[in-house]
Amino acid sequence: MATVADRLFLRRRIVNGVSLVLSGLATLFGMFWLVWILWTTFTKGVDAMSLQLFTEMTPPPGQDTGGLLNAIAGSLLISGLAVLMGAPIGVAAGTYLAEYVNHRKLGEVIRFVNDILLSAPSIVLGLFVYTVVVRTTGGFSGFAGAVALAFIVLPVVVRTTDEMLQLVPTQMREAALSLGIPQWKVTTQILYRAAAPGVLTGILLALARISGETAPLLFTAFNNQYWSTDMTGAVANLPVTIFQFALSPFEYWNKLAWAGAFLITVFVLLVSITARFFLLRKKMSHD
Amino acid sequence: MTDHIVKSYDNELKRLDGEIQRMGELAISQLDAAIDVLQRRDSAAAMRVVANDDAIDALEHEVSHDVLRLLALRQPMARDLREVYASLRISSDIERIGDYAANVAKRSMVLNQTAPVSAARGLPALAKLANTLVRDALDAYRSRDADRAMAVRGRDAEVDAEYTGLFRELLTYMAEDPRQITACTHLLFIAKNIERIGDHATNIAENTWFLVHGEQPQGEREKRDTTAQ
Amino acid sequence: MTDLSIAINTSVPAAAELAPRAAKLSARSLAFHYGDFKAIKDINLDVPEKRVTALIGPSGCGKSTLLRIFNRIYSIYPGQRASGEVILDGENILDPKYPLNKLRSKVGMVFQKPVPFPMSIHDNIAYGIGHYEKLSKADMAVRVEEALRQAALWDEVKDKLKQNALGLSGGQQQRLCIARAVALKPEVILFDEPTSALDPIATGKIEQLIAELKQQFTILIVTHNMQQAARCSDYTAFMYLGELVEHGVTSTLFTKPTKQQTEDYITGRFG
Repeated sequence: MATVADRLFLRRRIVNGVSLVLSGLATLFGMFWLVWILWTTFTKGVDAMSLQLFTEMTPPPGQDTGGLLNAIAGSLLISGLAVLMGAPIGVAAGTYLAEYVNHRKLGEVIRFVNDILLSAPSIVLGLFVYTVVVRTTGGFSGFAGAVALAFIVLPVVVRTTDEMLQLVPTQMREAALSLGIPQWKVTTQILYRAAAPGVLTGILLALARISGETAPLLFTAFNNQYWSTDMTGAVANLPVTIFQFALSPFEYWNKLAWAGAFLITVFVLLVSITARFFLLRKKMSHD
Repeated sequence: MTDHIVKSYDNELKRLDGEIQRMGELAISQLDAAIDVLQRRDSAAAMRVVANDDAIDALEHEVSHDVLRLLALRQPMARDLREVYASLRISSDIERIGDYAANVAKRSMVLNQTAPVSAARGLPALAKLANTLVRDALDAYRSRDADRAMAVRGRDAEVDAEYTGLFRELLTYMAEDPRQITACTHLLFIAKNIERIGDHATNIAENTWFLVHGEQPQGEREKRDTTAQ
Repeated sequence: MTDLSIAINTSVPAAAELAPRAAKLSARSLAFHYGDFKAIKDINLDVPEKRVTALIGPSGCGKSTLLRIFNRIYSIYPGQRASGEVILDGENILDPKYPLNKLRSKVGMVFQKPVPFPMSIHDNIAYGIGHYEKLSKADMAVRVEEALRQAALWDEVKDKLKQNALGLSGGQQQRLCIARAVALKPEVILFDEPTSALDPIATGKIEQLIAELKQQFTILIVTHNMQQAARCSDYTAFMYLGELVEHGVTSTLFTKPTKQQTEDYITGRFG
């Protein structure tokens, strides 16, 4: 004779089992797409993947050989500059939020505005920079592209810095202050050290985010057929290159586009894994 | 046993132990002195013995105070708790031994006002037995030796037997010569005091056993005091 | 045989016989507000020099709040303010003109949760010293060793000074925090429930440490464990709802308190 308790227990077990199966299926579903994307980009672009991908410039239409060297170099330059511009400001703003206005109204307002910026469509940012920088300077430039991407980096870094600093226990601040150390030294020498892994992770994740952004670059850095490291002019970059090559009727260009897509995907994956690995390793241990 | 992590705790326990040792030494001296003044019929010396009992009483107050403090401030556990508890009980027994010794000396002063009684010859033997018992009990406590304590417990019977013998002897004297009744009655009380000293020594031994083993000793304490039967 | 010179010979003086000392820290008409809430109501308290004073009381009675007034750590939080006076060596430390870093070099603090800085063991101690004094590497090493010895930690860490402090056990981390505080050679050390996060052995070691430290420093310890107050302290102050109910010699307070409230708390009848 099954008691009420037995029946309830059985029901819980059934619900548990069903949930497990459903979550497993959901995971598989998500993984499936990721694997499919990787597989597709790899197989479609494998023909173009060889050493020359990294040694040759983008070819003119119709040519059967060539690589993406200038695009890769340009992307690295633009992304690097974007991080250099956005991260320091982001860290400073995040510090201000966490240390000085943490529980105050002003802090809430800044966080709100930051969140808006965080979810702003990248094309809007691109258009904005186009109007403000490109139109005023008279032409596309790598610099404008970096500015646009910096607008994406900034809110991410602000958010992670803010949260990582808030994770540092209040008592560490108080302990340092109790020694008579002034606030600014506490922030730079103690808190940054304690929050460093988290902040760096945030920056890495921001980098991963901007690696594939195309829309802002369309309006700002545009593209360059040739090798150029002159940031005051148009600079080649991977996303826009892919955009152009993928839409073109030329077969080799299509292949290069796939190869470029694969490169970006792998790059983002590697950066994310590095960031996670970094953060996990530096977790504080208590007994 | 290893020391406590907090050294002041050890110091306080040592202080308590020292006080008890001192009390024991004083009590033994008092007992020796009481028998001595009884035999020598020295009333002046007897008065000094009576006065000296204050020192033992003062120490017992110290012990009480320290035990209270230890219990409140240290929350002793296990062996420490038994040590403190035993200290309290044993100090009380030693204080009673001191009191009885002083009583003996006091009564001897009364006795000295009458002629010496031959029956008093039995007392030194009784006193010697009791004295040895007290010394051994205190020794067993000092070295925390439960087996020696048990041995003391067994020997109380001898003191009781000796007392019973003396009791009968004194009764006989009183029956034979009514003029001796006063003196013999005092002697009876003195003998009883000494027998009680033996009992307190046995208490000390039993408390020592409890301290070491955490439970009361088994078996009836042998009593050969048949005077009440 | 009959003449006994009686001398009560006891080898160790009882703690209650410790000579009374002048007050190192004095609170006068001290009050404290969290915004509109008055957490501390008009307290007068003397903390004797080179003795251990314990603050006990139920949760929310204000003992931690009171402790934190003594190094003005509350000043970083808006809306928290103190009124009244706290006299340290003749000067009122609540006066806005009294420099904070001077106060904090004289009054050190050890917290409930051990919070070593994310640096090596050596740097943890050297950091505070380095802020005040410019020492050569050799001199600094001497100071670091001295502090670690005072905290009874030297023997356990002398071979791993360059290792990250977070690798130490909880008890060791707490002793490191104590070393960090004593390294600045303060005059007063405030302990805010220093052992509540530690196991009994580590707690015992810290209590022994406090007994040693009181020879050099005035110590004020907040503890919710009144048995700890009974074990460690020379003087105890009992607080309830922001008021100082009773304050006196520890052995007296725990054996015959004068106020009924104190007795109720100590015997576990409330709170």
